Amino acid sequence: MTFKLSRSAISASVLLALASGAAFAAKVPAGTALAAKQELIRNNGSETETLDPAVAESVGANNLTRDLFEGLTATDADGKVVPGVAESWKQVNPTTWVFKLRKNAKWSNGEPVVASDFVYGWQRFIDPKTASPYASTYGAFILNGIEASEGKKAPSELGVKAIDKYTLEVKTPYPVAFLPDVVSNLNLGPVNKAAIEKYGKEWTKPGKLVSNGAFVLKDWQVNSKVVIEKNPQYWDKGNVQLTKVTYLPVEDGFADVKLFQSGENDWVYQLPPATYEKYKQELPKDIRNAPMLGLRYYSFNVKDPVMKDKRVRQALSMVIDRDLLAQKITADGQVPAYGVIVRGTAGADVTAYEWAKWPMAKRVEEAKKLLAAAGVKPGSKIKFTYNTSEYHKKMAIFAASEWKSKLGLNTEMENMEFKVLLKKRHDGDFQIARNGWVADYNDATTFLTLVQCGSDQNDNGNCNPKAEELIKQGNQSTDPAKRKAALTQAAKMIMDDYPMLPLLQYTVPRLVKSYVGGYSTKNPMDRYRSKDIYIIKH
Amino acid sequence: MLLKNKQNALGDALLAAGLDALPVAGRSPWRDARERFFRNKAAVVSLVLLLLITLACVFGPMLLPHSFDDTDWDAMALAPTWQNMHLFGTDELGRDLLVRTLIGGRISLMVGLLATIASVAIGIAWGATAGFIGGRVDTLMMRLVDMMYAVPYLLIAILMVTLLGREFYLVVLTITVFSWMDMARVVRGQTLAIKSKEYIEAAHAIGVSTPAIIFRHIVPNLLGIVVIYTTVTVPGVILTESVLSFLGLGVQEPMTSWGVLIEEGTGVMETTPWMLLFPGALLSLTLYCANYIGDGMRDALDPKDR
Amino acid sequence: MWSYVFRRVLMTIPTILVVITVCYLMLHLTPGGPFDTERKVSEAVMANLQAKYHLDLPLWQQYLYYLKGLLQGDLGASFRYADWSVNELVAKALPVSLTIGGVSLLISVVIGVLLGTVAALRQNSAIDYLVMLIGNLGSAFPSFVIGPVLILVFALWLSWLPSGGWQDFELRYMVLPMALLTFINVSTIGRVMRGSLIEVMSSNFIRTARAKGLPTRTIVLRHAFKPALMPVVSVLGPLAISSITAAVVTESVFSLPGIGKLIVNGASNRDYTLVLGLVVLITVLAVLLNLLVDLAYALLDPKIRY
Repeated sequence: MTFKLSRSAISASVLLALASGAAFAAKVPAGTALAAKQELIRNNGSETETLDPAVAESVGANNLTRDLFEGLTATDADGKVVPGVAESWKQVNPTTWVFKLRKNAKWSNGEPVVASDFVYGWQRFIDPKTASPYASTYGAFILNGIEASEGKKAPSELGVKAIDKYTLEVKTPYPVAFLPDVVSNLNLGPVNKAAIEKYGKEWTKPGKLVSNGAFVLKDWQVNSKVVIEKNPQYWDKGNVQLTKVTYLPVEDGFADVKLFQSGENDWVYQLPPATYEKYKQELPKDIRNAPMLGLRYYSFNVKDPVMKDKRVRQALSMVIDRDLLAQKITADGQVPAYGVIVRGTAGADVTAYEWAKWPMAKRVEEAKKLLAAAGVKPGSKIKFTYNTSEYHKKMAIFAASEWKSKLGLNTEMENMEFKVLLKKRHDGDFQIARNGWVADYNDATTFLTLVQCGSDQNDNGNCNPKAEELIKQGNQSTDPAKRKAALTQAAKMIMDDYPMLPLLQYTVPRLVKSYVGGYSTKNPMDRYRSKDIYIIKH
Repeated sequence: MLLKNKQNALGDALLAAGLDALPVAGRSPWRDARERFFRNKAAVVSLVLLLLITLACVFGPMLLPHSFDDTDWDAMALAPTWQNMHLFGTDELGRDLLVRTLIGGRISLMVGLLATIASVAIGIAWGATAGFIGGRVDTLMMRLVDMMYAVPYLLIAILMVTLLGREFYLVVLTITVFSWMDMARVVRGQTLAIKSKEYIEAAHAIGVSTPAIIFRHIVPNLLGIVVIYTTVTVPGVILTESVLSFLGLGVQEPMTSWGVLIEEGTGVMETTPWMLLFPGALLSLTLYCANYIGDGMRDALDPKDR
Repeated sequence: MWSYVFRRVLMTIPTILVVITVCYLMLHLTPGGPFDTERKVSEAVMANLQAKYHLDLPLWQQYLYYLKGLLQGDLGASFRYADWSVNELVAKALPVSLTIGGVSLLISVVIGVLLGTVAALRQNSAIDYLVMLIGNLGSAFPSFVIGPVLILVFALWLSWLPSGGWQDFELRYMVLPMALLTFINVSTIGRVMRGSLIEVMSSNFIRTARAKGLPTRTIVLRHAFKPALMPVVSVLGPLAISSITAAVVTESVFSLPGIGKLIVNGASNRDYTLVLGLVVLITVLAVLLNLLVDLAYALLDPKIRY
């Protein structure tokens, strides 16, 4: 998608969405017999914090806003960008995009969805008064977005404009080839101004929420369920199969699976640790597993007196046997990672350390030399901080055991609540800390924010000015190949400083009933619209 | 007398306090009580079992070939086997479950013992003081006890553990804070009854100081009721520790406790049932024993004249 | 009596004040704020979020602000569940907890008193041991073990009941959670009943009744039962409160939308207003329940008058 798009987007080339929306919607393969009852129950992992698309932050909240609302574009089950409210778009010059809106898109109250709804939605999203946690993440791709999110410019100065009722112009601060992917996020969705002004804070409640997606809100019982139903006003309703979707807020993975087994749930949020192999054998038809754009890693605090020595960080990273970790400890199909960019990411290539291919004995030997040179003797203590979770605990014990058996280092493990870990990480009050990142959009920059100078998401405290310059140059480039080369090189340069210890690329092992159709294991962002899902006769 | 016992108990096995008290007292009511206690077969069997469990936890790990934190990637989630002496099997990281269960038992029993001693001590001091002084002080002190009952303890426990960290002694402290009130109430009631006895008035008359009266004359006479409530407190405290573990607030890895082990085992009870079975059985056996001993003590030492 | 009730209700005010002040301070002292998230938000956004919830004011001003809302019956807006006010959240969760907790407590009283009576009348016999073996299930096994076992048997193996979830007070969804809570409560009530009935049966007035040649059934039902119930009544208050608050485990095992769930989520999300709101609610409930228990006491015991 982004890749295909950027290749043709050389300078001010024109890119039109090739087909009308109908061809992209819930493709039920010919010959599939559909069940009479098109209802789905899926677990959403936790109670959603909001149904307001502008401030939605968690995966669960975004799953819901993705069904209730529709942005300019959307992503289908394979993660490809498809038209949403916009039926076509073009990059009229390196930093200007024009989106043509379809005329039959309607709000659930029957009013048409127009360009000004997007302008209102985007300005509301970026307004510091709304305080959306994503304001600076997506604001970075819209002209004046960062300044507006910090209150230095008025939201009205944001680079988005309604040319006419059905034409929207978006300006970017530098050439952003993957903008169509970015605007599929519902934080940048349209919202209904009249409804918000009428109901105020209450506007997301059942009976009040006006939305433009394939589904409308029917019922919302906190900590019990959110029920959505097919939207009769939706422009593409002919291609929506499901009539009702129930989202459950079950946090406990084992409870989740039990609901699945007793038939109370069709779609497990995520399998609990160490159960993947078991269910693969027991329920081979229901098990689904796919890598996604996410990285499990450990942050080194480069300002710590021990960790400030690159040789120590390198030694610690070298001796972790990622293959063993993936195969035996997590045992859920995750892929070993040796760089900050994971497989399937657009905009940069995966980089890996040279020693990744060495035999372990050689790696250990080299690591011991590095430690000795840095003056860290066997028997020394290092401190590892992680948050309460069975999964993180197992990985931590594994890492500690590797460090002890191969380098003779004693790891003091400190387990704390998630909020406390976040605080310590943000404050730089740690030595080595568990960390993880799931891409916000499919481009290398989402991962580079983890290691860039002064980035909000950089917990390591590292900074490589040369790499920073490369990233900046790459972003200014309108040639995707050049940009990719620059970002890849920057990623490699930064990783050679060892600011973090990459471990594994995320996968999403889960159980989905075999009769749930339209689920794809090729979705790199794990973002599904219920629009694409259907129930097969069973 | 009780204070002395407490120190013995610290180094000693669980519940030694209650038992030692009997011969030390050496009065005929105590002998009666002992006879009544030994008539309760369930209580006697429980006492023996509990001693055995305690001994196993204290000395077992020293006799076994594995260390509680040794991982073995070739022996992960192994079912119980004679091979390599993994008699209870191994956990998902290849750590020997027998050693971990015994080490976990040490922690759980220590938490039970220390938190009980601490809450009993606080309860006695608080209750005896309130009951003896009476009046405003009594009202105020008991109002605080009522308040403690009203506090949603699990919430405060979560906050305390988060705030203070999860060192072993902090877990003990957290549990203690919410376990002393029963004792305080009971002791206060008993103190009020004893206060009106002639020998206390006599002590007053010859000018013995108030603290001296409380600790030398009132506290020893509370012994019966204190022993009963102590045995009732122990299982409650151990169970609380397990609930904290369930909420992810237990002791730090690689250290473990029965609560932590059971919490880990519950999730995988269908695939690797031994991870739940062994620690669960030991915890339940301990709690059953403690409960039966408590009932036995209660029947035996009931302060009411029979 | 009414003036007594009035005084007791008035007494709740300082209790609530102290409790919320302590909780307030603890919450704010606990590291990590409500807006510390995986994705670190920019300073401008953080400032606005804090201003929105008055977190930018000095702590004492925030506190006064909160108290002012409380006086008007407004518990504030939830930090985490931004679309809901705490009043709304509590109003939805409370009926769930009250129903599950209340019904299971009623069942527990009936079963517990029955088991306790049977055990007491056959003290130290095989029946006594057996009855208490079953009765003590709840205090010997952690609830987070009993719960999953119930699910395994009744939901997965037998497919009689759903394994969790909630559907507008449908009985199917309430059976297993109620069963779990009943297990826990029965053991407490059963043991208290057993102990107190044994005590009553050995008292003088029962001996007199026996001497008169009354049959055991008449003695138990007409004379011993009522006084033996007194201690049972006194534990009902704390039990009722814990049925609501300590339902944390039950609610997470069965994925129920009750108060316990909110407490744990509120604490881990640092949802200050939600947690404080729940604390206020539970404190009020606790005080009222204790008051009810005291009044029930007066009904049972003619010696007590208010």
